Amino acid sequence: MKFPNRAVAILIVMAALITLPWWSGDLYKLHLAALICTYWVLIGGLNLVVGYSGQLSIGHVGLLAIGAYCFAILAGTHGMHPAFAIAASGALCALCGLLLGLPSLRLPGFYFAMATLAFALIVTEITLAQGNLTGGGVGLPVPGFPPPFDTPRGTYWLILAIAVLVTWLAWNVARHTWGRGLVAVRDSAVTAQAVGVPVFRAKLTVFVFSGFTAGVAGALFAVLQSYITPDTFVFDLGLFFFVCIIIGGRGHIIGPAIGTIVLTALPEMVAPLAKLGNFFYGLLLLAVVLLVPEGIGRVFEILIEHFRPRRGESHVVKPDLERLARAIENGQSK
Amino acid sequence: MTLAARDITKRFGGLTALAQVSLELKPGEVHGLIGPNGSGKTTLLNLFSGYYRPDGGNIVIDETEISDATVQKRAGLGVARTFQKPRLLPTLSVLDNAMLGGWRDARAGFLATAFSLPQVKADERELRSRAEELLHGVGLSHAIGRRANLLEHAEQRFLEIARGLAQRPRFLLLDEPAGGLTPAEIEHLGAVIRVMRESGVGVLLVEHHTDFVFRISDRVTTLDVGAVIKHGTPDEVKRDPEVIRVYLGA
Repeated sequence: MKFPNRAVAILIVMAALITLPWWSGDLYKLHLAALICTYWVLIGGLNLVVGYSGQLSIGHVGLLAIGAYCFAILAGTHGMHPAFAIAASGALCALCGLLLGLPSLRLPGFYFAMATLAFALIVTEITLAQGNLTGGGVGLPVPGFPPPFDTPRGTYWLILAIAVLVTWLAWNVARHTWGRGLVAVRDSAVTAQAVGVPVFRAKLTVFVFSGFTAGVAGALFAVLQSYITPDTFVFDLGLFFFVCIIIGGRGHIIGPAIGTIVLTALPEMVAPLAKLGNFFYGLLLLAVVLLVPEGIGRVFEILIEHFRPRRGESHVVKPDLERLARAIENGQSK
Repeated sequence: MTLAARDITKRFGGLTALAQVSLELKPGEVHGLIGPNGSGKTTLLNLFSGYYRPDGGNIVIDETEISDATVQKRAGLGVARTFQKPRLLPTLSVLDNAMLGGWRDARAGFLATAFSLPQVKADERELRSRAEELLHGVGLSHAIGRRANLLEHAEQRFLEIARGLAQRPRFLLLDEPAGGLTPAEIEHLGAVIRVMRESGVGVLLVEHHTDFVFRISDRVTTLDVGAVIKHGTPDEVKRDPEVIRVYLGA
């Protein structure tokens, strides 16, 4: 399935991303790129939950908020080193993911989505109510990263590195046995059981992982915002994460990545569209759901398939019995 | 070394789907299970593979009671199955679908996978070569890289068998594997089933094509309205007046 140019494509994209501060032009675009990478840290993890295991979480903004406040409180109020504060944000949100997932991941799809929605709403209320910890409606200032990451470029590179790491982790999960197990959970739970996939535990594991990346994303997001209030974490944002994955296509990594970039950047880059941000999401979502329900990622696959030499489209099943016997006996002798 | 149902009773609400049914599947034998629609064949298969719990009696493997064991646990004990309507993962390739059968043999955990540790690579190589060999073996060489949703019906059936075999099962339960196949494809299926038998796999064959069942089974059990009406060699079952009356016809 590999196409030989993949390594080259990855190198070119990486080079472009690393050199972005020199060609992006202004600081605002650099900030936007850092924001996209931050969103991707969350979405890259969430993608394993939504795109691979098919669990419709629309409440990850709640985890983002917890991660952000955790970082602001530890690194700001208590002066902890930001590196440890980021790790703590991730760990706390992984724990929150575990506590949220334990009761809710047994629910069928629609009810699970409602549980995550309720979770996001509760988090907002708590951040408002716990004023002495979170600053209530007034909010909290967030310290920046220490040198050499205290400049816009340094911040961008740090966040980019974390985003690349998350992409690599998610890709490793997706392309190995775990990925196949998750897709089985999504497309046919009966099959998943039949081959021995522990359905609930698999869902819970990726949900906890997505909690961790959401927490890390929260910390990075807080730094980029430099000041957070409960209003920073509007529910729309949770829906936005979800929509990026649906537009990108379930069961892909590159699709949702493109979805994140397009949905974050376009309304900002094209000034007249900025006011129409929600309209634009709606339109794009409608177009994708109606025209390419499998998402942008599938469009890519189709293009790649199109340029690959076609083999004969035979459908004739012709067993090779000696080979079959050998294969079965090899399996038994293990 | 058997997979057995002992005096199994299964009710759905007021309906008794199976009443005190016993069936023993040995390694290296093909055991046909036939009967009219609604006689309880698939119900029995679901009880063996763990999707249903019996209301009476036991499911036993190697003399160990597994009536309450999960489907996954039974997969670990060597019970694999296919489905009446093939249940594949349509967006994955044929190879990936077959490799899914090796889930239990992948030793690496989630974190090890995320960091792509050497163990993961080793698991992957092993599963890939096993799945490829099985796919060539069942006759899907031409379709290995194809998306499973592009397969025709017969290919889907053989892919389910390959996935089942990738589980390295001791017992493989086939739910109407010949359904929708052409006579030539049924011949291929028969040959594949014989190879499994010779390799020591116990095959439970739930099927409507009775001449096919009689041809390749070592023993045949006939169900009617949830009860065993005849059990024996194909010849014995074929000639049984009760079997002829309720199922085979004159």
